[in-house]
Amino acid sequence: MRTYVFAQLILAVEDGESSEGGGVDLLLPAPEELIAGIIAFAIVFFFVWRWAVPALNKTLEARQQEIAAEYESAEKAKVEAESLLNDYRSQLAGANTEAEQIVADARDQGDALKADIVARAETEAGQIKDRAQDEVEAERARIAGDLKRQVADLSLDVAERVVGESIDAERQRELVDRYIDDLGGVQ
Amino acid sequence: MDELILALEECDLSEQAVCAPSDVTVLFEFREPIIEIFGFPITRTVFLIFLAALVAILILFFGLRKRATHPGKYQLSVESLMTYVRDEIAIGIIGPLGVKYYPYLMALFIFILVGNAFEITPLINFPITSRMAIPLFLALVTWVIFVFAGFKRNGISYLTGIVWPPGVPVALKPLVGLIEFVSVFFVRPFSLAVRLFANLVAGHVMLSLMLVTAFVSVVGLFTGDISVVKGLFGFAWWALALAIFMFEMIVIVLQAYIFTLLSAVYIDTSINVEH
Repeated sequence: MRTYVFAQLILAVEDGESSEGGGVDLLLPAPEELIAGIIAFAIVFFFVWRWAVPALNKTLEARQQEIAAEYESAEKAKVEAESLLNDYRSQLAGANTEAEQIVADARDQGDALKADIVARAETEAGQIKDRAQDEVEAERARIAGDLKRQVADLSLDVAERVVGESIDAERQRELVDRYIDDLGGVQ
Repeated sequence: MDELILALEECDLSEQAVCAPSDVTVLFEFREPIIEIFGFPITRTVFLIFLAALVAILILFFGLRKRATHPGKYQLSVESLMTYVRDEIAIGIIGPLGVKYYPYLMALFIFILVGNAFEITPLINFPITSRMAIPLFLALVTWVIFVFAGFKRNGISYLTGIVWPPGVPVALKPLVGLIEFVSVFFVRPFSLAVRLFANLVAGHVMLSLMLVTAFVSVVGLFTGDISVVKGLFGFAWWALALAIFMFEMIVIVLQAYIFTLLSAVYIDTSINVEH
């Protein structure tokens, strides 16, 4: 097959210009197309070599860096957010403790106040009771004195009327008092 | 183009089944210079070769121009293409040393891809890689690179390793060595060039014949020059051409990939001989 093609090729070359219908000419590069191909490919290669490949590398590098930077900042933000969260949590816990403290303090104060008020009330009540008792005592003593005097007077009066004679008034009073005291002792 | 139109006018479907030119070269040879610059003829093909270079450069340029760290769809596509060639072909095949050959492989891939894509590009419809000059030149560059790299890295043992292959029974060494020598130094560049060239020639022939036949059939149907049955066949040709159009899209990418991949494989076998 290849031999055949080569034979035709040689024939075609020997025949000179395009042989009729063989299509062998197709296998021979046309000089102007070869030159054009060399120049065109050289241009493409130079462009790819000097511009496209470096551009690609720079782009990919920049993207890699950007992604790394983004990742880093995201990581930083995450850490920041976490520390903030911890702060808030500890603050919240502190606030809770404080509130509890306040409530406890208030309760203690309330208790103390209550005890104080009760004690004061009790003292006052005791004082009032004592005073009332004293007053009652004094009244009783006064009334007892009055009564004793009235009984003595009355007894004296009765005795005067019975005896008909008046004894020494001072002596009589002493007698009556002793009598009443005896009465009190009997009671 | 003139030749194609001429072929089209000559086509007589009442006598032929398919509009085929008597000489297939009219589909490929555009040697008439449009203009001449300092005596250098700028033919349609030459113009398209430079256009392919320009398009290849622009594709990469507009993809990487902004260098945005948050890339758009287009930038991402170009970056993916380039990193694919770097990671999967250059480094994937050759290994860490492949980075050195990456610019060549990348230029090779994008240039062949655009050159191939001209096959189905509207208003162009002509793959520059179907002209032997391009695949042959690129295959020769690959050849020079892998031979040079082989000698540079392994010295003369690169050559002796090929003609006196280790791990082969001594009796077979001369035969295997000869086969290897011919294979590496002669068949490789030739097969590399012809594979790309032949695929694109075949695709271009199929597409142009079918589309021309379809066009002539349908026009003939309306002018009444050909029978209704033949005219309706034109639609079938057209549908078939569309199917091949799809198929060629795959071929375009695949052949660019294969050429680049094999170049990398050849470089790899030259510098990493212990494989």
